[in-house]
Amino acid sequence: MNFVCCIKQVPDTAEVKIDPETNTLMRSGVESISNPYDLVALETALILRDKYGGWVTALSMGPPQAEQVLKEAISLGADAAVLLSDRAFAGADTLATSYTLYKAIRNLDLDRPVDIVLCGKQAIDGDTAQVGPGIATRLGFTQFTSVVEIRELNTYDRHITVKRRVEGGFEIVRGPLPTVITVDLGLARPRRASLPGLILSLRAVIDRWDADAVGAEVPKIGLKGSPTWVRRIFSPPLKEGGPVFDGRKDPVPAVERFLDTIVADEELISELFKNPGV
Amino acid sequence: MPQNSKGIDVAAIIPDRCIGCQICAGECPVGAIEMSGGVAHIDPEVCIGCGKCFEVCPVEAVSFEPKRPQETPQRIPGVPEDRFSEYRGVAVFIEVTHGQAAPVSWELAGKARELSRRLGTVAIALIAGHELKDVATEALEYGCDEVHVIDDALLGSYLSRLYGKAVTDLTNTVKPEILLMGATALGRDLASVVATNVETGLTADCTGLDIDEEKRLLLMTRPAFGGNIMATIFCENHRPQMSTVRPGVFRPGERKAGRTGAVHHYPFAPPVGEMPEILEFVRDNTGETGLDIGRFPALVVVGKGACDPESMPMIQELADLIGGVVACSRPVVEAGLMPYERQVGQTGKTVAPKLYFAIGVSGAVQHLVGMQGSRRIVAINSDPHAPIFGISDTGLIGDYRDVVPLVIKGLREAVSKR
Repeated sequence: MNFVCCIKQVPDTAEVKIDPETNTLMRSGVESISNPYDLVALETALILRDKYGGWVTALSMGPPQAEQVLKEAISLGADAAVLLSDRAFAGADTLATSYTLYKAIRNLDLDRPVDIVLCGKQAIDGDTAQVGPGIATRLGFTQFTSVVEIRELNTYDRHITVKRRVEGGFEIVRGPLPTVITVDLGLARPRRASLPGLILSLRAVIDRWDADAVGAEVPKIGLKGSPTWVRRIFSPPLKEGGPVFDGRKDPVPAVERFLDTIVADEELISELFKNPGV
Repeated sequence: MPQNSKGIDVAAIIPDRCIGCQICAGECPVGAIEMSGGVAHIDPEVCIGCGKCFEVCPVEAVSFEPKRPQETPQRIPGVPEDRFSEYRGVAVFIEVTHGQAAPVSWELAGKARELSRRLGTVAIALIAGHELKDVATEALEYGCDEVHVIDDALLGSYLSRLYGKAVTDLTNTVKPEILLMGATALGRDLASVVATNVETGLTADCTGLDIDEEKRLLLMTRPAFGGNIMATIFCENHRPQMSTVRPGVFRPGERKAGRTGAVHHYPFAPPVGEMPEILEFVRDNTGETGLDIGRFPALVVVGKGACDPESMPMIQELADLIGGVVACSRPVVEAGLMPYERQVGQTGKTVAPKLYFAIGVSGAVQHLVGMQGSRRIVAINSDPHAPIFGISDTGLIGDYRDVVPLVIKGLREAVSKR
């Protein structure tokens, strides 16, 4: 089995916090990390490789410093890594990104036919969940999004059975390889790097491919290949915190004052208690 | 204003203000911006002084002197204004499961009607599925002017490639200038396939839609970076302009019986190759599947610290009293104490009830982005420094086991006096 795992370097959005004093964004430095969903995808690929044999290639598109996420992938056990890096790739939206990744996967496929592409369900910076399906559609592979469990991988009749999240529950679905799977966080718990893995990753040479190397058509990549443009970016309006009553020592008066502020909202109360008798 | 060795007035980052969001790095056309130490750095020798970073920075962390006031981009000579004249109408994909349309579809039908009137065009429903019963009629009643349907036994349940093909075919036939879908699991899966097939722009999970009437542009606003930043996105050079929209953002269109319109049926040309087979549907473990916490006027939301089995009857009593249901934060779901459909926040549901009653919810930013649109937020927490108090209209510090019974009692009395 030949696995390709797509990994995005993202800012750690969890580190951007709201300052409780000023209700503004805390302007501390934000680190770059591997998208947590993608690490689950990688873990899934590694587990499947260890069970069925094969080869895992980690693939990322980004600036030169995105090499870091690929070194991490190597330290965790990926067999190879390719960084798609070219100034011409910059400013790509999901359409241009899925095109570029598709071209790279086609390249890998020529070398060694790709059976399963794994991606995180979404990235924590953009939260679009569009790149995985975009790659699947372009490749013509079977598409399974929001997968929470791999039930069965049959390498003889080349079918996979997965459990995926749908509205109101889950569905168990079986389909033919090759496939693109986007994984939910619950699918696997990413391992920690081993010491030999870390040493290996320090020495690892990450292949770097530019637009020419993947044979990408220039009008379809980067800013040029991106139909969507950002017109305006703004911080969401933040609410001011209201009064806080301390009921730790003497709860009764604190609860009373707390309720007074709620009950004072006549409109709210009349809307919520439309039906007397509740 | 600093200049580089080529004499270009260059931009510079004000490190104290930079929040490390990387938006400028993505926008820079020459790749002059790199991240280090969590903040952006501009290489003055690479910078061409275009000012893009200055324009996009959400926190004014770029020092730059724009040469001239920003003007609207000129129309490209030779490109006729009506290059998209064959595209018409604001379309909505009506998501149908077991003969029943998703509520978000009617919310979008209402919005499509409003947007289409502002553009002087029609609202269109696109429907794909099987055993669609009266959905086409319903679509007309909810405000669509015309309906285009593919009804085929192969479309009995959702499969990405089958639905992708059907809706791509409908889109290529009808050619709407705008196409909206609900940002449900199905809608987001399908929209990505269709947008890739027709090679157009798609903006995910929008929370606001507006129209630039002059340019006939759909302005799509969505949260990014975990909700810390909002972005308004548009798609100028491709049609249709596609967007998925979060359920619960818009009110459903007004349903008027007797509204009529044209209903067109098309045969289905399925894609070739072997399709996956759905073996089983597993309901979420509570058996309350399909519960949409976004539809209730009040929510009692518990954090992990307030989610013990002994207290649940008390929490439920409070929820019943205020006419709502019990929801939760992500750690509660991760601990297996409540099903995913009850989760509020970035990775759960976005809600905006009239009353949001948080108990033991600390208020991580990923949670706050999923509820900050609520009309009234009240919070109980034993930690006086819990971030939830920074966003709540009223807060109460205390152990929920002590204070919640008092709150229930007091609320009952206050209401009975009315």
